[in-house]
Amino acid sequence: MSSGEIQAARLQQIFSEIQQQRMQDIPILNPALQVESLGFREWNGQSVGILITPWFMNLIILPAAPVPELRTGDSVSFAFPSANYEFLKNTEVELTYYSCSLFSPMFEFETQEQARAVAVSVLELLFQAPQVAAPAGATPTTLSRRDLLRGKLRQE
Amino acid sequence: MSDLDTFYATMRRQGITRRSFLKFCSLTATALGLSPDYIGKIAYAMETKPRTPVLWLHGLECTCCSESFIRSAHPLAKDVVLSMISLDYDDTLMAAAGHQAEASLEATIKKYYGNYILAVEGNPPLNEDGMFCITGGRPFVEKLKHAAAGAKAIIAWGSCASWGCVQAAKPNPTQATPIHKVILDKPVIKVPGCPPIAEVMTGVITYMLTFDRLPELDRQGRPKMFYSQRIHDKCYRRPHFDAGQYVESWDDENARKGYCLYKVGCKGPTTYNACSTVRWNDGVSFPIGSGHGCLGCSEDGFWDKGSFYDRVTDIHQFGIEANADTLGATAAGVAGVGIAVHAALSAIKRAQQTESNQE
Repeated sequence: MSSGEIQAARLQQIFSEIQQQRMQDIPILNPALQVESLGFREWNGQSVGILITPWFMNLIILPAAPVPELRTGDSVSFAFPSANYEFLKNTEVELTYYSCSLFSPMFEFETQEQARAVAVSVLELLFQAPQVAAPAGATPTTLSRRDLLRGKLRQE
Repeated sequence: MSDLDTFYATMRRQGITRRSFLKFCSLTATALGLSPDYIGKIAYAMETKPRTPVLWLHGLECTCCSESFIRSAHPLAKDVVLSMISLDYDDTLMAAAGHQAEASLEATIKKYYGNYILAVEGNPPLNEDGMFCITGGRPFVEKLKHAAAGAKAIIAWGSCASWGCVQAAKPNPTQATPIHKVILDKPVIKVPGCPPIAEVMTGVITYMLTFDRLPELDRQGRPKMFYSQRIHDKCYRRPHFDAGQYVESWDDENARKGYCLYKVGCKGPTTYNACSTVRWNDGVSFPIGSGHGCLGCSEDGFWDKGSFYDRVTDIHQFGIEANADTLGATAAGVAGVGIAVHAALSAIKRAQQTESNQE
């Protein structure tokens, strides 16, 4: 396993413990779901993936070297091919991660399968560059200086 | 003032420099989440379009919307927005009073029939033929309908006009009624909140004046640019929610550590508003930043949803809009690949930074 995969497995373990210990009397957990980290991959020297739990689904970045001066709740902006995303820093049992909310609570999901399918789609979309629409009415500006001097612009 | 005055001419007359004007245009574009390309468009519209007259009516309300609006942290809002929108009638802000004020209302309706924006703060009580709110000698509901008939667009300021708010709380003795239930033939733009955020108010009105159309609205009639995210989605205490770290009682150790306020009644997970990104008082803070849970003041019927300090347990309060918006149908759930992709797309769009919440 790569270090990213080890970290992702650690994250899943940490949140399973959080569910068992701290989330016991919280009435907004979806009982059909369980804690699962999935889709983690290397990106710019850090690991990016998704964490599904019965109470949220977040994009997660596991940094190789966390920025030490950031405190819990501080926001960090990351530029992915699709857009910029704002992540919030947190540290749990010495594992630092940046998270960006996708869903919370999780009642729209009936099964873990559904949540997984959405998570996979989100990761695909995250790394897709947005399709840039050409500005309306823009004309191609490929007129060379030579063409200009030959009066091509006037002819058009 | 001539009818043909542009916003820009008015601003210049107010002594606002070209530099300040352009700065206003750029800040407005940012507040509206528009790309910098739009700065020029906003400037052009303001230089060339005649000012739009605004009638601002007050029904059953507490004037907190007006207070919020005139305290917009925007450096020019006081000068620009107020002069720009040409508040031809606002019984709180106008100089005229009594018969003179009512005459001004009639004159504005007649002169700009079909062209003015009607902004309504508060709502009409319908019980006893509207006798619980009399302005200018007649029930407010009559004045509202009269003014709405000639309006180009209608804005419902605050939770009173949008949902009913405290005066419509059970048992609602005066039968206070949100304006979209009284004005049925025109779209009503709801800008809920008690009060709404000043920047949201100036943003909505500037958008309408600049582009001469309504901002994109969600199913409930709220401008998507400000009401598409819940407080919970962008709350800076969210990492503590995720990690199961909650304030158990006021001023406990967890409260001092700044943990999540869900257990002490925060309604952030069910409230659609821009407080956690735009914040208040020039971006200084918002209720959760001051250690108190969100009351959910921009949500329908927030007075009747139990104590401000009860934790949200009714799961049906959660994610209703998220369901409707992201999944297309509430009952369908995330079944099938197509729906999963659609849900993913909506979620990732929500998560993306807009210009307005980029530092």
